[in-house]
Formats: sequence, structure tokens, C-alpha cells
Amino acid sequence: MEDADGGRFNESAYAWLEIDPERCNKCGICVDMCPMDVLHFGRKGYPYMRYRDDCWYCDVCTFMCPRQAITMTELPYLIS
Amino acid sequence: MYHIKQADIVIIGGGAAGSMAAIYAHRTDPNLRIAVLDKSKLETSGAAGRGMDGLNNMAIPPASEPEDLVQFYTLITEGVLDQEASYEFAKRCPRAVADLEEIMNRKKGDLFPVDEKGNYQLIDMHGIGKPFLLPMDGEEMKRAMAQAVRSTGAAVYDRTPAIKIVTVDNRVAGVLGFNIRNGEYYFFKTKAVCMTAGCAGRMGLGNSGYLAGTYEFPGCSGDGHAMAYDAGAELVNMECFQLSAKLKDHMGPICGFVAGPRGARTVNRVGEKSWIHPYSSGDSRLGVWKSYAEGKDPLFMNMDHLPEGNVKVIEKILFGTERTSRRLFHKNRGQDYRRPKSVEVEFSDDISICGGHNSSGVLSDCNGATCVPGLYVAGDVDGGVPHSMLGGAIAMGSLIGLRAAQYAANADMASIDGLKHWIHDEIETFEAPLKRDRGLPTHLVETKARSRILYYLKPPKNPDRLNIALWWMERIRREDLPRIKAADYHDLLKAHEIKSILLVGEMMAGASLFRDESRWGYFHWRLDIPEKKPDWEGCWVVTRKGVNGIEYVKRNVPPYKWDFSTSMEYKYPELSFDAGMPPAKPSPKRLEDGDSWTLGHIEKEGMDTPKRFMPKREG
Repeated sequence: MEDADGGRFNESAYAWLEIDPERCNKCGICVDMCPMDVLHFGRKGYPYMRYRDDCWYCDVCTFMCPRQAITMTELPYLIS
Repeated sequence: MYHIKQADIVIIGGGAAGSMAAIYAHRTDPNLRIAVLDKSKLETSGAAGRGMDGLNNMAIPPASEPEDLVQFYTLITEGVLDQEASYEFAKRCPRAVADLEEIMNRKKGDLFPVDEKGNYQLIDMHGIGKPFLLPMDGEEMKRAMAQAVRSTGAAVYDRTPAIKIVTVDNRVAGVLGFNIRNGEYYFFKTKAVCMTAGCAGRMGLGNSGYLAGTYEFPGCSGDGHAMAYDAGAELVNMECFQLSAKLKDHMGPICGFVAGPRGARTVNRVGEKSWIHPYSSGDSRLGVWKSYAEGKDPLFMNMDHLPEGNVKVIEKILFGTERTSRRLFHKNRGQDYRRPKSVEVEFSDDISICGGHNSSGVLSDCNGATCVPGLYVAGDVDGGVPHSMLGGAIAMGSLIGLRAAQYAANADMASIDGLKHWIHDEIETFEAPLKRDRGLPTHLVETKARSRILYYLKPPKNPDRLNIALWWMERIRREDLPRIKAADYHDLLKAHEIKSILLVGEMMAGASLFRDESRWGYFHWRLDIPEKKPDWEGCWVVTRKGVNGIEYVKRNVPPYKWDFSTSMEYKYPELSFDAGMPPAKPSPKRLEDGDSWTLGHIEKEGMDTPKRFMPKREG
């Protein structure tokens, strides 16, 4: 498991993927499967959108999560 | 840190074409050492990471024969194609279907529809009276392919884009790649390369300004074209741009191939059909452009006239496959397929170069072989088989896996002199953006490059715009690339991708200038020469590396085997109108004989502007 990089990445910055800590068991499938390398583990072991602006809104993360812990709330850059 | 490895075949890009190449190379010779380098993650990478709802442009007898598909290709490429290569693909379509059923472990009739006789049911929507579209329930396709690749024992390097192909005596000798998560480099000594790195999909810039909001998978940034060019391969049809129709502001296609056959109508605001041809060819795009030019935009995909059952079918397919975030997009916008004018259609600004959707890319023959011994191409990077779509990626990906394996069996591993020094120097150059203390952020440079490409290359084209585009590509390369600051390895890939974008952009502008005619409807519409010229019939613009940079050559396509029509029915518009005359009198008073007042200021002040910060007031 990797840690966020020395404060350079703001884990609490606005993101359109919501991770439910009650459901997420930190298995890392979403981090592993994200095709654009957007998702990484944060300090507490939960995934977050480290490279948020590379998200293609492909929906892989929400679909692949076995615990339905990820919700895509909106598509802001696609002017939804 | 770098590692030197050996592989008989290196596959660059693990999308559908690359995955099939790996599977077929292994089937051909299970003892081969195969390495698959994927910029992304094999299970989800490429254009079909969330699967696909159909195999398009397929010839599946008895519904459609290989010759029928060649007839269609000859028409939509307006004769600028290698018919033999297209025929080779068309013959392999049934095998591609059978392969997918096997790889995905799905029974006949489950993955693709079949009729009561067991024949595949294709949809006829290509306008020549033959069906080429085979619907598919294929959400898991890419993951199933990845599973099949991994089960061959191939060494899969996820998050590891290739950055350079090395040749010795003009044949393939090695590939350098690096891992974007840990910064480790890998050099593969190899005999053969299957180049399946996808299209150049990050060329223009969508009107949202969002760099990753592309119609094509944003990982496909033309690196394959750039690497193949650098290795000595030829490219064709780089002047034949792809401009896609997609959902307004969303990155997804309008999916006319899903909604159209089920009754949806794409019309302009006054209800006219904008598509000239039912297929997304250049004549159709000219029709779309016409709607905009006549002020009849926006365009809409209407489904309000359809029975509820049809709408549900369309939603089931579109919300579950390929670009599934469209469901949320529609919801947040309050769009509903059941209402008229609810779904707005966009004429995409993210111009791309794509052999799957169009006909441009690295030139290959009927075996997927390029002019560089050991280098094979398939999928969206391939310009040898036009409009090959996903079916082509699967069929031709398989073929190049087979051919590369046969080649590797008879080839020696080339000896590379001074390899360690070369790797060291290459890494040092490559990592320069990472080592700078400060510099231009990658996203700003990419925005600059892509906005210039959009502004100066979007058809209709004219030579002045194209020349300015060339000037910009060179200027950004000269001034901005040496100043890019990459924040980390993930960002270093962006810096590398910008180089590919600039090179492909230069090829697009240069080839567009070289083909001094218009062709393929909107895709290569030269305002200064708005007609097809007889001396360009059946000719490619071949783009290749010359002594002094990119060179362009006119070359006849291979002789036709079939005498099919090469002419689509459209006409380039004459663009002129009377904007009125200036008033005859009084004529504007001009200062053509000199401006004595300003000249007096120059005499007093020189050319510098006086710094009168505030008017000086006495007392």
C-alpha cells in the first residue's frame, strides 16, 4: 500500500467520486483497475482521486468495486 | 533504475488489438517470450475498457461476404485503400467472432444474436444494402481478453508505456518503456514489435476545455504513430481527420449504431436529417457541418416517437456498456430519451487520427506488416485497413500476433552496440522535465498545443491556416518543450505525450498541405481547392521520416482487385455571400498621407510611451 506523497496531493480536495468508508475495505481493486491512474491510496488507506483531472468518467471504479463503496456523483468537467 | 530483459515479441498497447496479438502469438508458438506493455491496466485499458455493444464493419456470411465489405470500404475511402488488406481483414471476421465467444466463454447466441438457423444477425445500416454491424452483449470483453493474455504466461507490464523503439540496420531490435508509478525503466531486446498503441485521440480540444474529456480513450495520444515514424515506418492519410459526433459535452458517442437501428433519429433543430450517408463517413460530416452553417443547429437525437420498449432497449445497452456515465450525465441534465429535443448532439472538436474510425495511421500490408522488418501494426494506430473499428482490432490484432510469431521464429536477436550508454542517455533526456526545479506545467503546454491544432486544423482547411499550424507545432516544440516541468512520473508521461501530439499535429498539417485537393467530404475539405482532383484518385499521401524532418510522398495504392465505386455523392459548397457594400459617400476620412499629430508625439517623445501615471495638477 502506498502513501500519499508528502502533502503534495490534497486528499480532501473536491472530487466527484465519493468513497464510503463504511463500505470500503481498502481492497484496492479500484486503484488497480483505474485506466487513467487517477485513483491512489490516501494516508488512511482509502482510495482518493490523486490525479483528478485525468478522470475520463469511464465508470470502471464504481462498476468494479465489489462492495459498492464508490459513487460517481456528477461529471463536472463534462459540464453536466 | 533500469532493467534489461529479453522478449521474442513486445506488444505495445494492451487494448483489444494488443491482447489478441498476444493470444495469437502464444497460440502460434507457446515457447515464445512475449511482453505486453500497457500504459494503463490491461483489464480496463483502451477504447473498449468498459466493453462494447457491437462489432462494427464485419463481414459475416451468409449475411455479408468479404467482397461486400471491400465494396463498402472502397466507397467510403473514395478509392484510397489497399483492397487486399481490407479483404484479408474481411475474411477473418468470422474467426474473430468465434474467438471472442471462446475467450469470453459465451455460447453462440448469448454474446451475439443468431437467427433460428444459427446464422449471426447483423444490422444493415451502412447504406450499400449489406449488413455489417453485429450487436454484442460485451461489457466484460476487455477483462476476459486480459485474463486470456495472462493465462498464456506473457509478461504483462501494466502502467508501463513504451517510449522508444530501437532499430538496428533498419529492423526492430528493442523497446524502452517506463513505469509511471515507480519510475523504473525496462529495456527489452526483441525480434518483433506489435504496435497496438491506439489512435491519436488527444489532438484537438473539446469545447469544455477538459483535456481528458476526449471521444477517444485519453491514454491514446499518438505515441504509437510517433514511435513507428521514428523507427522508420510510413504513415498514410494523415490529412484525413476524424471528427466524431458525440453527446454534447459528454465524451460518449451518440451511439447512432445502437440507437439508429432501433428507430432513433438524429436531426437538426428544424427536423431535417443531417446525415447524408447512414455511416459516419466524411460526406455525413459535411451534412452535419451544413446544418451548423445554415443555423439549423443544434442537432438532437430524438427517440420520443419510439415505443417504450425500444427506449428501454437503447437505455439498457447505452447505460451498461462502453460510456456508461452517460446515464448520470443525462440524469443531472434532466434529459430523457422519451422527450423530443432532449439529447443534444455535438460535432466533436477533439479532432483525432484514427484508423478504426477512419483510415489514417501507420501503413501496413495485408499481413499487418510495416516497411520496418519486425514491426507490425493493428487496431486504431493502423492505417492499412480503414474503418476497421473493434472488429478490425480483434481480427488484425490476431493476424499480427501470428505473423510476428512466425517472423520471430526465423529472426535473430539483433546486437545493440553500447546499449547501456544509450539507455543511460535516453533516460537522462527523457527525465529532464522531472529534474527541472521549475517550469511550465504539462497541462498548460498540452492546452496550448491542442487549442492551436483545433483552431488551425479543423476543417474546412486552407493553406494559410495549415502553415500557421506548422509554425505553432515547431514553436511549441522549440520554446515550450525544453521548459516543461513534470511533477512526478505520472506527469512525466504527459510531457512525453505532448511530444507525440506535436509530431502528429505536424504530420496532419503537412499532409493536408501536400494533398492539393479536397476528398472524403468534410475530413479533408480544402477551401482553396474544393474539389476532388483526378490525379489524386487512388493515391495516398505517404508521411515518413526524411533527412530533414518529415517528408511527404504521393504514391498509388496497390492495384484494385475489384472495380467498385470510389465516389460518394456529395458536393462541396461554394462559400460566398454578399455582405453588402460600404457607403459610397461620405467616404471614411483616411490618414493615408501621414498622421502629423502622432508624428509630432514621436518627435517629442520618441517611440516610448510616457509614464503619465496620473495627470499632474498644480496646487
